[in-house]
Amino acid sequence: MGFLFRALPWFLGALAAVAALGPALGPGYVLRYDMVFVPDLSLATVLAGADGFPRAMPSDAVVAALSLVLPGDVVQSLALTAVFVLGFVGAFRILSGAVRAAGGPDVVGAAAGAAAGLSYVWNPFVAERLLLGQWAVLLGYAGLPWVLAAVVRASTEPASRGLAGTLRALIPAAVGGFSSVALSALTAGPQALLGPRRWRTAGALVAALVLVSLPWLVPSLTSGATTDPAGVEAFAARADTPFGVLGSLLLSGGVWNAGAVPPGYGEPVAAAARALLVAVSLAGWVWWARRHRPAMAAGLSVAAVAGTTIALAGATGPGHEVLTSLIGWWPGFGLLRDGQLYVAPLALLQALGSGAVLVWLLRGFSEDARRGSGPSRNVSEVGLVRTMVAVFVALGPVVVLPGLAWGAGGGLVPVDYPREWTRAQEAVAADPGSGAVLVLPWSAYRGVEWSGRPVVVLDPATRLFDRRTVWNDDLRVGTPDGGTVVVAGEDARAREAARLLEPDPRTGMPTVDPGEWAEILSSLGVSHVAVSAPVDNRFSSDFPGLETVVQGDDMTLLEVRDQHMNVDKEGISGLEVTGGLVTVGAIIWSMARSGSSLGFQRPQPRTDRGARKEIPK
Amino acid sequence: MIKVIAACVIGAALAGGTTVMVTNLATESTATAEPVNETLYNYGDR
Repeated sequence: MGFLFRALPWFLGALAAVAALGPALGPGYVLRYDMVFVPDLSLATVLAGADGFPRAMPSDAVVAALSLVLPGDVVQSLALTAVFVLGFVGAFRILSGAVRAAGGPDVVGAAAGAAAGLSYVWNPFVAERLLLGQWAVLLGYAGLPWVLAAVVRASTEPASRGLAGTLRALIPAAVGGFSSVALSALTAGPQALLGPRRWRTAGALVAALVLVSLPWLVPSLTSGATTDPAGVEAFAARADTPFGVLGSLLLSGGVWNAGAVPPGYGEPVAAAARALLVAVSLAGWVWWARRHRPAMAAGLSVAAVAGTTIALAGATGPGHEVLTSLIGWWPGFGLLRDGQLYVAPLALLQALGSGAVLVWLLRGFSEDARRGSGPSRNVSEVGLVRTMVAVFVALGPVVVLPGLAWGAGGGLVPVDYPREWTRAQEAVAADPGSGAVLVLPWSAYRGVEWSGRPVVVLDPATRLFDRRTVWNDDLRVGTPDGGTVVVAGEDARAREAARLLEPDPRTGMPTVDPGEWAEILSSLGVSHVAVSAPVDNRFSSDFPGLETVVQGDDMTLLEVRDQHMNVDKEGISGLEVTGGLVTVGAIIWSMARSGSSLGFQRPQPRTDRGARKEIPK
Repeated sequence: MIKVIAACVIGAALAGGTTVMVTNLATESTATAEPVNETLYNYGDR
């Protein structure tokens, strides 16, 4: 029975993953906005990186490493499933542990934990970030309850054990990268500072955060990366419900991209139902915080308020100015430009509040358990209506957000790459040279039609090849008035390519004389050109000095015939290697210190009845 | 115990029914705006 209870959250988390992802877990690659998985992602190329901020580190490196032993689509399915399972189990364990520690019966703990877990992985934040393809951010989000619980435990443990526990809980954030680490710091920071032995706990948290950040922190500090302040306007939170920006954020939605809102979510009925559920969960949180005084009550409340304030900032005049100034002063503040990200602690607070509502509804069970009365009395005292309502509330997140179900309402569908794409990949891999691949048309995002239905995605050709790619990393965001905000890219070689090739903004194809292409490409260190869109049949015969290697409906690969280029040997620096090894070593140490991963622990013996103690040791 | 299970089933059935109702209300008035027949796209539209 004990094993079943320990396995229950993992099973329910997997069930939630299947319900939400559905067909996306099948064979093939799910492509959507930032979510680009390709066959045989090159680890060496990922590690070598490009100019600018290392946004895909170390998530892409982990994917590439796993792709050495598993097919890329399987790695993608595992990553997406991990988001739901880890998130669900993390929230589940906080509530079920609290009920157990307070002397409540396991069944109430399981019910409350399940409600918290489902609420945490089935909400607008998860749906919108999933539809935006930001799986790495969601991995960090899934780790937040683990990090919060680890920080609470660290305040009562010996220093090295507390550091190891915190490090272990930060593994999902370590994989997720900079946004995930920032979310973890925001969620757990206030708890560290407001809990007992604050300076020691905060020190351990900072040390752990720095250790897991080294793979992206070192290259970002040494590359001189810049951030365009225009991103504040482009990525500010927006109203995706009738309740305005603040109302949308309080419902844990408000993502900047209208194309990432799950089907039906913004309609008045669905939004009102979601608002009702949020109100109930906030009431549950207040009741739990006052009645049971969980150790994380103040810390998580502060984190939620602070996060919502950051999220709202970009959407207000003064906040917009402050953020723009901050980014102009130091590019590192670019972390704050996508403000809606920071409602994550609020989503966790609401999830725990949902679980607390079940604790309140089923409190008769707990009272009977303390008195030692039998099950028949439970039924009479708790009441069948309360049980019925508890089940309804627990399933509430699905009821008010059905658009997330089964591949987010059809937004996540796996596809196979056309044969021409894999032939192009193989052709470049077979080339002994080391020149870069120029990706055309000159635009980052495509509407790939070979997927069966047009879906907007970062051009997969930017990740397809085992060498550096040069592509337009400008981000164009449409505004409601029909205008466009362009957030300047960060790759210096891409800027130089744009200057020399003078691409047509309508077609994305270069406008310079075809006779000059070969010389320009050589000067850029480019040995191949991948045109990842349908082109005219005569296209490839128009360019002297270039040879067609692959030609298909949606992929044309050209090779520069006489490559007289000075290929700069870009690679990973010794400092970056050291940083990565330190992170890996620290994670291994943290796991060895406890003999487990991600803090999976056996349930502890019950404490004295009535004790107010919420976090399982 | 049977009564508790019955209450759970009723609660789940109510949730399922409400989900279907919300889905129908939402899909009746929602048209997914995924532009078609273009090659180049914005990162997104606000």
